[in-house]
Amino acid sequence: MWLNVAMRLSLILASIGLFVMPGFLISASFPFWQEQGLKPLVGAEWFPYEGLFGMLPALVGTLWSVGLALVIAVPMAVAAAIMTSEMAGKKQRNLIRFGMELLSGIPSVVYGLIGLWLLLPWLQSSFNLLSGHSLLAAGILLSLMVLPTIMVMAEDAISGVALEQREAAANLGLDWSDRLFLVLLPQAWPGIRAGILLASGRALGETIAVMLVVGSMDRIPDPLYNLLEPAQTLTSRIGREIGEAAFGSIHFSALIACGFILAIISVILSLVAHTNQRVRV
Amino acid sequence: MSRFSRSFWTRVLILVLAAPAIIFPAGCLFYIIMQGIGAWEWSMFSIGGNQKSFGMSSGIWPQITGSLILMLGANMLALPVATGLALYHQLSATTRQRILMQVLLQLMQGIPPIVYGLCGLVVLVYMMHWGVSVLAGQVILAVVILPLLVLNTVHAIERVDRGRTEAAKSLGLSHTAIIRRVWLPETWPALLTGLLLGMARALSETAPILFTATVFSGVVWPDSLFSPVTSLQSHIFYLAQEGGNDQARGMAWVSAIILITLISTLSIAATMLRRMEVTHEHRF
Amino acid sequence: MYRYLFISLFAITVASPVWAITIHSAGSTTVLPVVSAAAQAYHASHPNVTITVSGGGSGVGIASIVQGTAALGMASREIDEKEKAQLGDGTQVVPIAMDAVAVAVSKAVSLGGVKQLSVEQIADIYRGKINNWKEVGGPDSRILVIDKEASRGTRHVFAEAVLGNAHARAAGASIISGSNNEEQAIISRSNSAIGMLSNAWLNDEVRGIAVVVRGHGVLPSIEHVRDGSYPISRGLHVILAKDAGPEVRDFVAFLLSETGQKIVEKSGYLPVR
Repeated sequence: MWLNVAMRLSLILASIGLFVMPGFLISASFPFWQEQGLKPLVGAEWFPYEGLFGMLPALVGTLWSVGLALVIAVPMAVAAAIMTSEMAGKKQRNLIRFGMELLSGIPSVVYGLIGLWLLLPWLQSSFNLLSGHSLLAAGILLSLMVLPTIMVMAEDAISGVALEQREAAANLGLDWSDRLFLVLLPQAWPGIRAGILLASGRALGETIAVMLVVGSMDRIPDPLYNLLEPAQTLTSRIGREIGEAAFGSIHFSALIACGFILAIISVILSLVAHTNQRVRV
Repeated sequence: MSRFSRSFWTRVLILVLAAPAIIFPAGCLFYIIMQGIGAWEWSMFSIGGNQKSFGMSSGIWPQITGSLILMLGANMLALPVATGLALYHQLSATTRQRILMQVLLQLMQGIPPIVYGLCGLVVLVYMMHWGVSVLAGQVILAVVILPLLVLNTVHAIERVDRGRTEAAKSLGLSHTAIIRRVWLPETWPALLTGLLLGMARALSETAPILFTATVFSGVVWPDSLFSPVTSLQSHIFYLAQEGGNDQARGMAWVSAIILITLISTLSIAATMLRRMEVTHEHRF
Repeated sequence: MYRYLFISLFAITVASPVWAITIHSAGSTTVLPVVSAAAQAYHASHPNVTITVSGGGSGVGIASIVQGTAALGMASREIDEKEKAQLGDGTQVVPIAMDAVAVAVSKAVSLGGVKQLSVEQIADIYRGKINNWKEVGGPDSRILVIDKEASRGTRHVFAEAVLGNAHARAAGASIISGSNNEEQAIISRSNSAIGMLSNAWLNDEVRGIAVVVRGHGVLPSIEHVRDGSYPISRGLHVILAKDAGPEVRDFVAFLLSETGQKIVEKSGYLPVR
């Protein structure tokens, strides 16, 4: 009896939360959408005092930093996963996995310290930049952060490939590299993909570390592949401006809208990751 | 010959690619630890010692307790709700409800913490007039770790042999009895693991509490749940912006290794428990 | 057993001693060191009053009074008409100090020969018309132009004096910084930076340069703020909510007292009394 009551109670609490969240995101950003329409999504100028809320620079910056993080982290993480699951002994495997779990526990603000005091000076001197603040810095930092996530999931997926499949591949006389590329990786791909999607979600929403190194400049990279100049991301915009925007103003509403966009992108990412898992089953 | 060398080169390629994945993160960790040890001074821990205006030279205890208060509160709030949801999922939900719950929880897990922070800022801090407060931070962190706790509990119960649960049900055992006699004895290490991971997660979040629960300085011990705190995470963030000041840098690195030590103690304990769970399962 | 543990935990976290009072203050990072130091001194003589301090900038200071999230706001600029209307009648804006907004450059730039700039030259740098230090007699290096977040008091005062409008765009900016500390750190790490910084944050690495007024270069200093010759100066204010309690008012009185004004002076600002 009390158990039922407790279960219902937590269900009610959770559903309230579930309705409050999207309800709030929509209602609090509504004044902004109402005043500005969808124009800000393609606008390049963000000047709250002039009523200009172009989000394109932050959107481009967000995509670049996440993309860059994945380009750097995925090959390394998958290679490391192959190494630990297929080439290393059980002891080494446990050790590396343990290390990765430790690393995934380093809080993002500490990566921010590394970014500010190690990465930025290095970028500044090696690329002869004005300051090291750039999308490249954000991308490198994010790649460090998501590396353990991708690696742990990829490793689970690769070592999860059934023994029969491995034996069948061996009986066909395939050599190690064929077995890897023709059997193991394709079989493990759904799991690896889920890891990549999870990692991009994490990179997308990372705030503190990115905010410290990206430069917070609302400018679309010029040319578009120029990753060495200061830029802006959605999260760094929110982090920098949320304190100053008066509650109830259009500016505040615009920042909530940025959060809304982040939430939508992350929901799409997890839906894709999730459908994928179901197909596998 | 050529086949052998192809496999050989693939191995080399993988090792070359994998090396930085191990070296860079390990190097970062090593760098943090070295910096922290280099800057370590016991006077940083003396209470009421040489207090200076930026909270840089004062003892670091307020930040440590602040982080712990936020983390423990978040877990105390999230645990009952998570347990309730997980039990509902396992005992009363229909298949469709289960799938729906699972999808929603996974979506929740994917939403960036800063978005939860925004929601908390508007709803709790402004609309409910809690102000920048411990409670607001605890509630927001509780929501952030809730999906993790629920999914972990669900998976733990699902790992229990289905036959045993069915047998218990067919014997007419009440839900309470099933939980106590069948599930709890087998799942408690997994549940504890989840709790520890939840604690570690709550300690590593900065963005959602920065605007809702923490202030720059002035707090030694929060007067009530509606007072703000200082925390290690936000302290590091503020100090990070003071790169010009050696004292601040030292304090930041020391705070960082304290935070990492707290978090890794929790996750190491979780890993050890998980191993225990594995051996535990093998008994059956 | 557990019940007692729980109750005592609850009692520790919830039950506040009746006599303890906490005042929250937030806003300008220029005013912050003064309030922070004064808060500690005040706490020493009034142990039942704790004053928490957070930064964020003048805009945050004003917003937090409007939204009621702080009892004491800090602002390093004048309050404009729109904000006065938002704050409403009964809100008090109390000047506690005067300060100069220095045009700060990296040490290398100062050593490279840039000792003074006219307001027009500074404006051209921020508008992106001057990109290299050699155009103003300095070393041959690109200029790292540091702008500040739009809500920062320093930004308002500087942009108003140099660009003519507190919210003017700075097309030449290459990076946005937040607090004084953050800006100071960026300038000291660079060798080609220019930024706007409170006079109190200048040091050997981060040097203030003279601003040319009617043919004479005037260095940012307390003296030049006092005699009014430095063109970019400002008042530092605290803002009292209209329902501020007697403790908050007493603390503001403390800031204006002799002890409080000593702290102002020690923090590198010009006392108002």
